[in-house]
Amino acid sequence: MNYEVIIGIEIHCELKTKTKMFSGAPVLFGAPANTCVNEIDLGHPGAMPCVNRQAVAMAVQACTALNMEIDPLVRFDRKNYYYSDLPKGFQITQQFHPIGRNGHIEIETEEGTKTIRIERLHMEEDTAKQFHYDVGTLIDFNRAGTPLVEIVSCPDIRSGKEAMAYVEKLRTTLYYLGVSDVKMEEGSMRCDVNISLRPQGSSEFGVKTEIKNLNSISNVQKAVEYEIERQSQILDQGDQVIQETRRFDEATRTTVSMRKKEGAVDYKYFPEPNIFPIRLDEAWIRSLQQAMPEMPEVRQKRYQTLGLPDSDVRLLVANKDLADIYDQVIQHTDNARIAANWVIVELTAALTKRNLKLSENPARPQDVASLVDMIVAGDISGKQAKVLFEEVMEGHDPKQVAEQKGMKQLSDSSALLELINQVLDEQPQSITDYKNGKDRAVGFLVGQVMKKSRGQANPAMTNQLIVQELKKRIG
Amino acid sequence: MATMNELRASMPARQRVEEALNKAKALQPLLNAVVTFVDPQSQLDQLADKPETSMHGVPVVLKDNVCTRGIRTTASSKILDNYVPFYNAHIVDKLQQAGAIVIAKASMDELAMGGTNLTAASGPVYNPYDRSRMAGGSSGGSAALVAAGVVPFAIGSDTGDSVRKPASFCGVLGMKPTYGRISRYGIIPYSSSLDHVGYFTRSALDAAQALKILAGRDDRDMTSSDREVPDYAAALNSDLRGRRVAVLGNVMEAIDNPQVKALFEQSVEALKQRGAEVRVIYLNEDLMKAILPAYYLIANCEATANHSNLDGIRFGVQQPGDSMEEVMIRSRTEGFGSLIRKRFVIGSYGLFVENQEKLFRQAQRVRRLIVEDVTRAMQDFDILIAPASGDVAPKLDDDSRDQLSDGVLIAENHMIIGNFTGWPSCTVPMGMIDGLPVGLNMTSHAWDEQSLFDFAAAMEEITGLRDAVAEVK
Repeated sequence: MNYEVIIGIEIHCELKTKTKMFSGAPVLFGAPANTCVNEIDLGHPGAMPCVNRQAVAMAVQACTALNMEIDPLVRFDRKNYYYSDLPKGFQITQQFHPIGRNGHIEIETEEGTKTIRIERLHMEEDTAKQFHYDVGTLIDFNRAGTPLVEIVSCPDIRSGKEAMAYVEKLRTTLYYLGVSDVKMEEGSMRCDVNISLRPQGSSEFGVKTEIKNLNSISNVQKAVEYEIERQSQILDQGDQVIQETRRFDEATRTTVSMRKKEGAVDYKYFPEPNIFPIRLDEAWIRSLQQAMPEMPEVRQKRYQTLGLPDSDVRLLVANKDLADIYDQVIQHTDNARIAANWVIVELTAALTKRNLKLSENPARPQDVASLVDMIVAGDISGKQAKVLFEEVMEGHDPKQVAEQKGMKQLSDSSALLELINQVLDEQPQSITDYKNGKDRAVGFLVGQVMKKSRGQANPAMTNQLIVQELKKRIG
Repeated sequence: MATMNELRASMPARQRVEEALNKAKALQPLLNAVVTFVDPQSQLDQLADKPETSMHGVPVVLKDNVCTRGIRTTASSKILDNYVPFYNAHIVDKLQQAGAIVIAKASMDELAMGGTNLTAASGPVYNPYDRSRMAGGSSGGSAALVAAGVVPFAIGSDTGDSVRKPASFCGVLGMKPTYGRISRYGIIPYSSSLDHVGYFTRSALDAAQALKILAGRDDRDMTSSDREVPDYAAALNSDLRGRRVAVLGNVMEAIDNPQVKALFEQSVEALKQRGAEVRVIYLNEDLMKAILPAYYLIANCEATANHSNLDGIRFGVQQPGDSMEEVMIRSRTEGFGSLIRKRFVIGSYGLFVENQEKLFRQAQRVRRLIVEDVTRAMQDFDILIAPASGDVAPKLDDDSRDQLSDGVLIAENHMIIGNFTGWPSCTVPMGMIDGLPVGLNMTSHAWDEQSLFDFAAAMEEITGLRDAVAEVK
């Protein structure tokens, strides 16, 4: 049978705040276990929450980037359950009044642009991290209380590819905002996918499963596609899908049952009495919105206007840090297309060769820009450009180096013509060869001119002028 | 005995602290008011660096739900029997900055839930005036130690009337300031929307000076106020001319004990003679009867969440178990008294999704209605007064009273109005009945603690019970 796939995605992102959601303990990734904690994070008696202003600011910006309505009255609730990774026995979250509602983002699909609606965005605190061993469990409370935003999509997603595109788009957007590291491998972005199938044309939802443990964006697509196949087979056989939580198993590329959902858990949500509702100042919200960095769609349009090829636009927009470097380079040159090519191809290759990260890039943007300008002006040859780029990677000014090394390309046609005619006078055999249809002769002559110019002759111009002069002589 | 100021004038700090500790230890077999004695040595050693305040070198007691760094803090619950906090409650820092010397952590009803102080893990606290009677709760240990003259000042906490009721039974001043006036950071909670830090003294002046030291914004308690703290003691004025007093008529009608009524009427007469304008007002009787059930629901619902951290995993007494879940269940089952477990069940029940609207949320709406009714009734008055209790302290084994009679529903629960509204409220002694004290409760508008101190000063002059100390027999 043909089924319609219904997918909704919940994403948790850790915010990159200095301190925790409700405590002054630092948020540090990779710190020794249980060193970033205080009495609040450990749920000690008498400790009270204090809302992190920076976290609220980041949530406001995230809501804005996702085109959401912002509730200016910030309220928190308690979600009650007992678990050893939840120190207080409740999580402070925003059940009843999420800070953001009714948003949307656009994703690119094979059929064109598609809008995915976002139901809500709310702030909450993370749990501790547990390490289960044969002989017991270790708990690291460093993560406990880390600010999170949970972003819940409407069930608008219809395929594995769309699911991946949605997650990628959210990831890019939040990364651009600078509010989260959004690293799925490190858990700073976590993704739960709800998926159900229904016969094509049906208006009722089928039984859904929830897939957890998706630690990369490509696994989102793989897991969804596997789960669609699994549910289709069950339904085709006339069986029922069981409502359950499944996890993606990377080794087998399948989803595996984690636990059945036997009736919904009652979390006994109620308003957090220790935090009065906080009225956000409209001017503060506006100032946060004005301070937002450029979002991916805007950057994409800007690059298109610069005339970059689609492949370059896509690559740069998806790679914010590289695009940031590119933006610095084009502040110093108008040759945007060539600059894009050098940043995307040569710069990344040179960094890889040196085993450097983008953040450690030693090349100064103005140097890359001058190199690009020199190439476009024909001041240096392609070969020279590569040599000079190595110098740029050492932090050197390519113009100075070119001068010191006498690398200036000879592009003056009258000077070139003089050299060419000297060579032609010396090489009558070549003229004869050319006359007899031996095109190889041109290459030989170019080589001679290059030799005479000590490598400085512009090869393309030289080639063109030699042909012109040859035709004159045999004409 | 001596109030804080007199005590400071009478002898050097080390001596008065030593005498207080000796007295506390001597009375411990009689009152059972202390959970943990505190060695004052290091505090005394640092005293020279502390500024000269009304509490400088004054021995004080903390209710055992006040977290003290390095000092056992049990909230009189078995599950916290071994709990030693690694941080100080805000008010502990405040008191120590002012040079106060903590000598003991006082007994309380387990986790501050109760009005008898019979449920403490360390057993009942006995009333200093009659050891066959209760001290009241939940801050019973603090009230008894001030009443017995061990210390001139003790911290309590007040969620229903847990400072003001034991103050009545023990014949001391019990003060609960406005919600947000004193930071709750580091106080083991009961019900966050109702909890207040309060305290006991034996004089109005001490009470006024103490609030100056304790009050003020604390960024760690988002519900604490940044409103300026006035110099209450400097403004203290027992002249009542022109002050508008409302007598809570519902309570007078609900009280059966004619001696209590007579004492109260005498007090009212005396206030009038000092120039106060007194009128009887009535609040909606149905709402008055709804105070206790609404309170019970709100308090227990919040409490069940507040105490979910007590699971034996990270601190407290851990019972063995094969799984994390079993450890939690056993630790909680064995760590709490049966009354506490009952309250948690009620609280959980009230929060269940199918019950929450008609129980917890309904209770919150009733609370709102009561606050509106009181606000309306008090529009033209400065202060609301009524007997703090319909009787003297009950016998330890007294369970004769019908909890749903008007005598209990209204007369014994009206002080919860101070917790519902968050308004400041204070109990002072109004006289003795057969050698047992009875208190008068006064409630003023939000942030008007000054009126309470002024009336407390006037009552001291009227009753002569300033600095009254029980002779424990």
